[in-house]
Amino acid sequence: MSAVSTPRQRAGRIVQYALLAIVALIPLFPLYWLLISALKTPAEFSQIPPTWFPTAPTLDPAATALTAVPFFSSMLNSVIIAGGATLSVLVTSVLAGYVFAKHRFPGRDLLFWGIIATMFLPPIVTIVPLYYLVSSMGLSDTYLGVLLPWLANAFGIFLMRQFIQDIPDELIEAARMDGAGEFRIVWQFVVPLLKPAIVTLAVFMFVYAWNNFLWPLSILKSEALYPVVLTLNRLMSYTMSFEYQNVVLAGALIASLPTLLVFLVTQRVFVAGIAASGVKG
Amino acid sequence: MTTAVPARTPPGAAAPQEHRRRSKTAKWSALFLSPALIVIGVFTVIPMLMTVWISLNKWSMFTSITDMTFVGLDNYSRLLGDATRIQAIANTGVYVALSVLITVPLALLIALLLYFPKLKGKGLVRTLLFATYVIPTIAIVIIWGNLYSPGYGPLSAMVSAIGLTPPGWLSDPQWALVSLVIFNVWQMLGYYVILLIAGLTQINEELYEAARIDGAGIIRQTWSITIPLLRPSLVFVVLMTFVNSIQVFDPIYLLTQGGPANSTNVVGFEIQRSAFQYGMAGESSALAVSLFLMIVAVGGVLGIIMKGRRR
Repeated sequence: MSAVSTPRQRAGRIVQYALLAIVALIPLFPLYWLLISALKTPAEFSQIPPTWFPTAPTLDPAATALTAVPFFSSMLNSVIIAGGATLSVLVTSVLAGYVFAKHRFPGRDLLFWGIIATMFLPPIVTIVPLYYLVSSMGLSDTYLGVLLPWLANAFGIFLMRQFIQDIPDELIEAARMDGAGEFRIVWQFVVPLLKPAIVTLAVFMFVYAWNNFLWPLSILKSEALYPVVLTLNRLMSYTMSFEYQNVVLAGALIASLPTLLVFLVTQRVFVAGIAASGVKG
Repeated sequence: MTTAVPARTPPGAAAPQEHRRRSKTAKWSALFLSPALIVIGVFTVIPMLMTVWISLNKWSMFTSITDMTFVGLDNYSRLLGDATRIQAIANTGVYVALSVLITVPLALLIALLLYFPKLKGKGLVRTLLFATYVIPTIAIVIIWGNLYSPGYGPLSAMVSAIGLTPPGWLSDPQWALVSLVIFNVWQMLGYYVILLIAGLTQINEELYEAARIDGAGIIRQTWSITIPLLRPSLVFVVLMTFVNSIQVFDPIYLLTQGGPANSTNVVGFEIQRSAFQYGMAGESSALAVSLFLMIVAVGGVLGIIMKGRRR
């Protein structure tokens, strides 16, 4: 193949870049619409046909959204719920993943695949008994009740096992010969090698728990405990009137920022980790 | 699995020291596994067994569980005679089939575009595509609810601009379910693109080199090298799309409540509504078990395809 590009190759390039631009518009256009709608005044917002750029951008809708419902305290609730679930999943997954990757006992693989099978069990299938169980523990309408079912999961164990399997056995053997106990082996020798996997799982769980809607909807009653998604639902349902739609959009924008920020900051490691989870699976 | 299983020493041949160490690690195995096993056992396995049991009983969720009465397969036979629930199953089938049929080819085309040609900015596009995956569904519901709005929504404005009559989107029974599929594709596409790109990186470059020397064009290469070798990733993506879309609940609950005219009532929504709004836990659980069986059946077939091709 010659280094000098022929007109045909140049035309090919142009087509490829055009396609790339179209693909970029798929996520960008709705997000752009969210942003400009959240910045429009009610009058401009309700114009037909819609304007494609806000003529007099304003932060009023965002300010109204923040005061109409307790956004800040719900953010804190979401941080507690998503943060708690993430920390717990990290600990339980590293410990269980280590055992499945490096310990040997009869029935190990059967147990592992049994756990993996639960990955394909949607929460909606067990929502009725789960609600009954947690309520009868007296935990309905509490942080603990929202958290408990999500303190460990199959995906985390799977991901950690895959990554820990790549750590050479010799390293662990050597640590054992030096008299390191199992806790120290995990904490001092395994965990430092797992940074990409830990970031991936942490972001994945944080996003999952932050966005989880069905379970908090089922188990929480007090608005004081609502995570952001439920508070946004409240904003959406009691401001259905037309001139408030831009306020609801501003609320949607605010509620999306934390997970988007977490993702953008970690995206390089996170995307690589998610890719690895697919290839290794 | 790609990892080689380490050679096992037969139990009799193990050195006494090795044996002692192994029984010592057994305690640690149990200790390290127990937190995860307890959580998954109590909050996933036991509820699954309870779902099966409740599906064989008549129980109003608004009364005590001790009022539950055994009715055998009654809830299942009633399920088959209930037009609303049968329609929910049919709608779910359409929703899942459309989601898979649109998502998988589209994700494949985008993955090919983002993997093969050397283009500036493709990393950025990949990140943008994935970003929709981390946004809460309720925020996406609000965005798309506005995009679909018949009056001030841009989609209707665009369709009108090219001289066509825009459909009623979510308020039109013919279009509502399709509109929800588009929404789902938009939300999940980036995740599947990443998984497929990961699959593409596993294909040996030399195969393409050899094909080029043999005079095979891009289409021929895609058809004879990429697609067959990408099959494990493709099947995995089909499986994930299937599992993710069959359990759809949030957008239905938030946007349409199953309407208009039950056209978007799906199994996930019907399970929640039967139980939490009407209290019919038995009927709800029969539907939940049916959903579970559908996942087992389709997941099992896809799993066999995936394993079989890997050997």
